[in-house]
Amino acid sequence: MHIKILYFAQLAELAQKTEETRMLQAGDTVASLYAELQKTYQFPHELAQIQVALNHQLSAHQASLQSGDTLAFLPPMAGG
Amino acid sequence: MHFDRTTETIDPIPLRKTLLHQAAGAYCSYEGWVRDHNIGRSVQQLEYLAYPQLAPAVGAELLQEAKEKFAIESAALVHRIGLLDIGDLAVWVGVTAPHREASFLACRYLIDQAKYRLPVWKKEHYPDGSWAWIENAPNSSAPLLAPPANP
Repeated sequence: MHIKILYFAQLAELAQKTEETRMLQAGDTVASLYAELQKTYQFPHELAQIQVALNHQLSAHQASLQSGDTLAFLPPMAGG
Repeated sequence: MHFDRTTETIDPIPLRKTLLHQAAGAYCSYEGWVRDHNIGRSVQQLEYLAYPQLAPAVGAELLQEAKEKFAIESAALVHRIGLLDIGDLAVWVGVTAPHREASFLACRYLIDQAKYRLPVWKKEHYPDGSWAWIENAPNSSAPLLAPPANP
């Protein structure tokens, strides 16, 4: 059970990587994964400030995760 | 209806031509340029990056929303990606409509929505070599510095 995680902008800078593959444990959720990553990489944003994309589509924080998924954490955007 | 992200210089002239329509009596465009300062600090360059697998879908969604909300004929949105210099064109929006009011409103809507919904991020580079990620707040023209600012 693996999940690919994508990081962008400040999150990629803090994690010092743009992607990684992590083990997916039974019961893992977007919130539990982010909490773990936030602690590991000192992400400054709360989950409420972050959007997520599951398999390259914007998704709810409550989306269920499957082995093989690609999950992206998107800090507040800044186009223009 | 057309969205694009590009690492090349944006040329508005050919883009404008893609919007020409015999039913359109109005054309409105917006150009976002790289300026030399932000929040009282000198800026040397801006760096944009995008989420390439997601940006086209969000761009298409914004254009479709504009089409549904306003009486327009066509619209286009193009965002530059990469390292930009002062004066470079970073984002371009063009809208055609039968009448000017809808073209103004749709153009404003598209740039406002793009600033915080398009999966694009902006990093400011300063003359002393430091940098900061910028975060746009919804319904605000004032960007926020991402916490924490780098040294």
